Amino acid sequence: MIPDLKSSFCSLLAAKTTIFLSVVFFFGVFAPDVSAQRRFTRTYPAGQNVRLTLMNRTGTVTVEGWNRPEVSISADLEAPAANIAPQSLSGTILINLVRDNQGRNEVGNVNFTIRVPFNSMVDIETRIGNLNVSNVRSGLVRAHISSEGDITLTNISAAAVAAENGLGDIFFDGEIQQGGNYRFTSMRGNINLRIPFNSSFRLVATAPSSRDINLGRFGGENLKFVGNGRRVVGQTFDGSATLMITNQRGAIAFLAR
Amino acid sequence: MISVFMDNELDSELAAEVRSHLAICLDCARVCEDFASILDVCGVEAAPEIVPPNSRALWCRINNIIENEATQATPDVPAQAARRVWRLSFSQLAAAVLCVAVVSSLLTVVALRNYTRPAEADFTSRSVASQTTFEKVLVRIGLAESPHQARERRINEQRAAIDYWNARVQARRVQWDRTTRDAFDRNLQVIDESVSEYTMILQRDPEDDLSGEMLDSVLNEKMNLLRDFSEL
Repeated sequence: MIPDLKSSFCSLLAAKTTIFLSVVFFFGVFAPDVSAQRRFTRTYPAGQNVRLTLMNRTGTVTVEGWNRPEVSISADLEAPAANIAPQSLSGTILINLVRDNQGRNEVGNVNFTIRVPFNSMVDIETRIGNLNVSNVRSGLVRAHISSEGDITLTNISAAAVAAENGLGDIFFDGEIQQGGNYRFTSMRGNINLRIPFNSSFRLVATAPSSRDINLGRFGGENLKFVGNGRRVVGQTFDGSATLMITNQRGAIAFLAR
Repeated sequence: MISVFMDNELDSELAAEVRSHLAICLDCARVCEDFASILDVCGVEAAPEIVPPNSRALWCRINNIIENEATQATPDVPAQAARRVWRLSFSQLAAAVLCVAVVSSLLTVVALRNYTRPAEADFTSRSVASQTTFEKVLVRIGLAESPHQARERRINEQRAAIDYWNARVQARRVQWDRTTRDAFDRNLQVIDESVSEYTMILQRDPEDDLSGEMLDSVLNEKMNLLRDFSEL
């Protein structure tokens, strides 16, 4: 009786070992192919006034300006991999993952790293995830997160800048151009602006819930708290640019550079 | 040549050629007939009634008639006009003045409503304090919306849009993965907290313009969030 049990136990163990080794072999053979499908790269020649329009579903988007007349797109696609089909239409590089994956139940994060000529217009959106833009000097920088994520804009010099998110921080480090238009909106998070001290702008900054508006070195007679400390209005120098900041449930801070 | 022929002043040979030509040329024959008829008329003695009248006497008569009619017509016109003006009674005159005043007032109101009406987005941020006296008068007589009414209307419009997008989101959210659902719910919760907060503040103090403006802003945020996620 005991030898029978021993032999059946051994045969069961051998079968399990065989199955385990088969699974390990299968993944060992096919895993490199799967990981190869998760990387997307493409390069487009770009003119002087190229525009990048990107609408992502979930994931981090990083856009960097560089001194080359081409747009380099590189994306890491997490499983289940999203469909991605960039288009180049008369000076606009268009990537719309929301449209390309509409109706799909599950789509993994897509993390973009895009390099554009430093004078490109950048218009990027995502439903969930972080947006980073750096080294761009053009007419437009727009970053919009429908729900959660941080927006970081560094070394930006653009006539129009818009950054909007739901839950998350916004950080802007750049210049305020004469006659420019700058808008920063968040539901809950911190909005921090690092701008040159000699910037000239008209300001409406509203933090109705926290009433936490720190003007730093910009504070003075020309910027006044109104509405029981919920809003700051006024202007610096001749007030040529327009700066609108609204943080529903978070703080606003200015840093001079 | 025909007139010379008609006067019998052509020599016989030439006259014979003219005759033979007239026999075959219809146009020349007609011209010849016309000359003949003119000569016939001229040859008849003029009747007494077609003798030209004395032109001077004729012009004197015409001139007298015209002057006579002019002196009769001139005093009649102002007399008739004067009679027409003075026919208006005092009540008619007062009614006319009143009509002019009402029409001009209405035109002014319409013009002001059309040209000084603030933008739609400004309505929610307008307060009773920022209204001009004229605007207050318009509100009192029901020709313009008060800031509260404008805000109510705007909020109702936004809520209708939110209901529409919310229905679309509810139809699609079963297809979302857990991460998307959680992120959406967290954001919606924060927005709804803000909506509740501003609504309570406005119930306590309807004159709080800033809260009215922020309520408008968060309702827009909510609408945008629902619209963005309804596409997934």
